[in-house]
Amino acid sequence: MTRAIDWAGRALLTAATWILVAAVTFPLFWMLGTAFKKPAELFVKPPTFVPREPTLENFANVLTQTKFLTYASNSLTVAVVTTVFVLVVSTLGAHALVSFRLRGRTVVARALLLAYMLPTTAVLIPIYLMIAGFGLTNTLTGLIVAYSSLALPFALWMMRAFFVGIPPEIEAAATIDGASRLEAFFDVVLPQALPGIITTGVFTFLLCWNEYLYSLVMINDDSRRTLPTGIMGTLVTGHTIEWGMVMAAASMMSVPLLLIFLLLQRYVVQGFGAGAVKG
Amino acid sequence: MNQRDLGLGYLLLSPTVLLLCGLLGWPLIQAVLLSFYDMHPLTRKFVWVGLGNYEDLFQDDMFWRALGNNFIWLAGSLLLQIGGGVAIALLLNRSFPGRGLARSLILFPYLMPVLVAALVWQWMLHDLNGIVNYALTSLGFRRVDWLGAMPNAMVTVIVVGSWRVFPFVVIAVLARLQSIPQQLYEAAEIDGASRVARFWDVTVPQLANVLSVVVLLRAIWDFREFDLIFLMTGGGPVIGTTTLPLLVYKEAFELFKMGKALAIAVVMLGCMLVLIAAYLFTLRKASTSEEMQS
Repeated sequence: MTRAIDWAGRALLTAATWILVAAVTFPLFWMLGTAFKKPAELFVKPPTFVPREPTLENFANVLTQTKFLTYASNSLTVAVVTTVFVLVVSTLGAHALVSFRLRGRTVVARALLLAYMLPTTAVLIPIYLMIAGFGLTNTLTGLIVAYSSLALPFALWMMRAFFVGIPPEIEAAATIDGASRLEAFFDVVLPQALPGIITTGVFTFLLCWNEYLYSLVMINDDSRRTLPTGIMGTLVTGHTIEWGMVMAAASMMSVPLLLIFLLLQRYVVQGFGAGAVKG
Repeated sequence: MNQRDLGLGYLLLSPTVLLLCGLLGWPLIQAVLLSFYDMHPLTRKFVWVGLGNYEDLFQDDMFWRALGNNFIWLAGSLLLQIGGGVAIALLLNRSFPGRGLARSLILFPYLMPVLVAALVWQWMLHDLNGIVNYALTSLGFRRVDWLGAMPNAMVTVIVVGSWRVFPFVVIAVLARLQSIPQQLYEAAEIDGASRVARFWDVTVPQLANVLSVVVLLRAIWDFREFDLIFLMTGGGPVIGTTTLPLLVYKEAFELFKMGKALAIAVVMLGCMLVLIAAYLFTLRKASTSEEMQS
C-alpha cells in the first residue's frame, strides 16, 4: 500500500517536473514556430503550435529588406575581437595572479572582484565621454573598447577561479625538469587551463553578443549597429510590427548561441558557477 | 623563486593592471568628480556646481520613484528567481526519466540574448494576438494589458527577468545538492527522521551557505539591470518601471543632463557598495564554515 503511494507520488513529481520544463522552454519553441508562419496564420484562433504551412518567407524578408547581415557581421566582429583580446589579457593576468608571489596581488584580486560587480551605468557616462574624446563614437573600435571594459573584469575573475584549480605541483615539476617559467606556462599550465579558457571565451562572447546599452548610446549610423540595436531600430518601430519577421530575426540571432551551447555543454555548465559561487 | 621570475610575473600582470586602471579606475574617479559639475552637451564645457546636482536630485520626485522602483524590482526578482530556482533544482535533483535532457533544456532562458527574451515575451503578451491573453480568454478570464498599465508592467518585467536568470540559481543549488554527503541522510533515517524532517534537518542547513551567496550575487546583478526593463517597457507606462539605471540613461542621453545623471550613478554606486560589502562578508563566512565542517 505505502509502496503504491510512494510510486504515485514519484510519478506525480516527475510529471510536475516535465510540465515545468515545458513551460520554461515554451517561449523558445513559440519563437521558432512563429518564425515559420505565414502572416495570416499569426492571428488564427485557436493558435497553431506547429505551422500549418511552414514558410521561409520571414527569414528571406529579414535578410533582403533589412540590414540584418550587416548588423550580424558588426556583432560578430566586435564580439570576436573583444573575446580574443580579453582572453589573452586575462589568461596572462590570471596566471600571474595565481602562480607568482607578486607584491600587491591580493590588492589586484580585490580590485578585480569590485570591478566585476561594478554597475555598468556608473561608468557608462565617463566611458562614453572618453570614447567620444578619442573620436571613436559611431565606430566598431569604440564599441570594442567599451565592451572590453565590461568583459575584462568578468573574464579575469572567471579565469582566476579556473587557474586556482590547477595544482601548482605540475608547474613546479616542469621547472625542476629544466623548463623556464615561460616554457612551463606554455607547455604545462596552458593545456591544463584550456577548458577554463574555452568556458570563459563562451561567456565573454555571449556578453558581447547580447550587449545593448553601449551600442544604443554610441552608434547612430545604421550600418554600424549591432544585432540588438539594429533589430530594435528597424523591425520593432512603428505602429504595425511584423511579428513573423521579428521572430525570424530573433531566431537567427539566438540559434547560433544555442548550437555553441549544445557543442560545448560540458564547459558551459562549469562556467555558470565558476568565479561566482566558488569565489 | 628568483628576481627574473618575479619580473616575468609583473610583466604578465601589467596589461591587466593598466586596462583595469584605464577602463574602470579612471572612469570611476571621473564619474564621482564630474557629478559636481554641470556639462553642456553642445559646448562640452564643465561648470562647477558643487552639490547642485545632488540637491536637484533629492528634490526630484522622479528620483525617489526610481529608487523605490529599483527596490520593488529587486525584491520581486529575488523572491521569484530564488524560490523558483530552488524548487526546480530540488525537482531536478531526483532521479527520473530524461533527467539529463531536462537539465539541459532548463538552461535555455539564460543563454538567450536579452533582446530575444524581451521580443518573444512581448509577442506572447500582446494585447490582442498574444498566446497568453488567448489562453486567459478561452478559460473565461478577461484579457490583461500586461505592459501598458500598472502594476501589471512591473509584475511582468519581474516575471520575465526572473524567467531569464533562474537557471543560474538552479545550477548553483544543484551543484550544492549533489555534494551533500549521502551518509547524512542515512544517519538521519536511522535516527527515525521522516522525509520532511530529513529535508529540514539535512538539506536546508547544507543549502544555507550557497543560498546566501547566490542571493547577494543576484542582488548585485539585478540591482543594476538595464537592458531587459528598457527593452520591454522603456521605463513606462509613464515612469512605472523606471529604475535608477534607466533614469541615468534618460537624464544623460535624452535630457542631456550629464551632471545629474552622474549624481544618480554615484548614488547607485553607494547602494551597490553596500550589497558588495555584504557579499564579501557572506562569502568569507561561508568559506570558513565550510572549512570547519570538512
